[in-house]
Amino acid sequence: MTFISNLINGISLGSIYAIIALMLNFAHGDVIMIGAYVSYICTTSAGIPPILSVVIAMAVCTVLGILIEGLAYRPLRKATSLAVLITAIGVSYFLQNSALLIWGSNPKTFSSIVPFDSIALFEGKLIITAESIVTVAVCIVIMIGLTLFTKNGKMGKAMRAVSEDKDAAQLMGINTNSTISLTFAIGSALAAVAGVLLCSAYPVLIPTTGSMPGIKAFTAAVFGGIGSIPGAMLGGILLGIIEIFGKSYISTELSDAIVFAVLIIVLLVKPTGLLGKKINEKV
Amino acid sequence: MLKVDDINVYYGNIHALKGISLEVHPDEIVALIGANGAGKSTTLKTISGLMRTKTGSITLMDEDISHTDAHKLVAKGLAHVPEGRRVFLQMTVQENLEMGAYTQPGYVKEGINDVFERFPRLKHRRNQIAGTLSGGEQQMLAMGRALMSKPKLLMLDEPSMGLAPILVQQIFDIIKELHDAGTTILLVEQNAEMALQIADRAYVLESGRITVSGTGKELAQSDSIKKAYLGG
Repeated sequence: MTFISNLINGISLGSIYAIIALMLNFAHGDVIMIGAYVSYICTTSAGIPPILSVVIAMAVCTVLGILIEGLAYRPLRKATSLAVLITAIGVSYFLQNSALLIWGSNPKTFSSIVPFDSIALFEGKLIITAESIVTVAVCIVIMIGLTLFTKNGKMGKAMRAVSEDKDAAQLMGINTNSTISLTFAIGSALAAVAGVLLCSAYPVLIPTTGSMPGIKAFTAAVFGGIGSIPGAMLGGILLGIIEIFGKSYISTELSDAIVFAVLIIVLLVKPTGLLGKKINEKV
Repeated sequence: MLKVDDINVYYGNIHALKGISLEVHPDEIVALIGANGAGKSTTLKTISGLMRTKTGSITLMDEDISHTDAHKLVAKGLAHVPEGRRVFLQMTVQENLEMGAYTQPGYVKEGINDVFERFPRLKHRRNQIAGTLSGGEQQMLAMGRALMSKPKLLMLDEPSMGLAPILVQQIFDIIKELHDAGTTILLVEQNAEMALQIADRAYVLESGRITVSGTGKELAQSDSIKKAYLGG
């Protein structure tokens, strides 16, 4: 029974990684943290109902995402990827330290926004938390929604075009700046959802809460294949399972090391990730 | 239709275009020929707004577009098939064409039918990822994608690059057909011989300057051009 319980926990944790990995950028982990804080403040200080607090967190993070894109990344549109990476690290520290200033370093105890009880099966031998069910369900809904949006929506297709080749996209008449803003807006709103779900399952909220999940979501995206929605989903869930199994069967201390070892092995063996496609450019 | 007046373009410290002026009249095929690195592609990129000129002006159908964003020019009737085709490799043929009609949402169905009529090979591959197409098919897709925006002026950058001779001929036939159907064309080519055959007029570009211009026939018969670009 512990095996099944671990598996469920792994899938649930992995679903959070998957949500983050779907629309990834490097400062994403800290947007998750901001989302969780906003929801926390809304429910504890303002007495706003939990579900509404998620909506507010999504709205705040959407604005934050657009601001980050416009202020930090847009001026670097033609810069090297190294400059962009360093900026992302800067944004990440900026967000963490802003949170430290605003909310202090004392951990906040996040109370779950999921109003249902856990389900006990097999005379209480297997307990499935309501949080894990909600997390997996939300992840599936988001994945289906995003797949439909990027496969069928005009804006969604434009997003794919921009992410593949900005110049060529401009030559199609696509406004790349507003398309990238939209991508950040959606990604940040999803990050808020991920933050609330994460803190509902693991209730300790501090300014660095998001950084590890952010890095792991990046690992998940590479693992599954960068740019592929099913890849992000698969990579995230496998990573969650590996992490939880590593924790319970090998060593709690080593579980993160195991996760990153997986990243290294994947990069060595299949650099494009599990579902990533390698397309050679023809000259 | 298009008037480029004294543009100077830089890549950092490198002075790539040194006071280029050229004109394309309605219904013409104008060729821009020259060696590698002469500035042909830079000229097209500057016209389509991907690069900026420090001086002078670019006028498209009596409107100054020197400072207009690249994405706004498509709706004004300018299409640019860039060097190396730059089709969206991870999108299907059909999706690439849909992106071409981004500014013409009402034209998607009709446009795709037109493109498939002109390039039947694309029709068979409509649901295939563009990255799996051959070089010639990708060139056809790049041209078809540009036609989806109903351009008045079509700029083609090295459409024959890397293609087998039989395909080169086919691409040039298609350019002629497009021209006959009323599209004005600005063509950049290293294959000067082919380009001069179909061009009404041509400019020769050498290290960022236009050195010679004239009708296609004149240039094809000029001794210095023959020596430099036509292999004798």
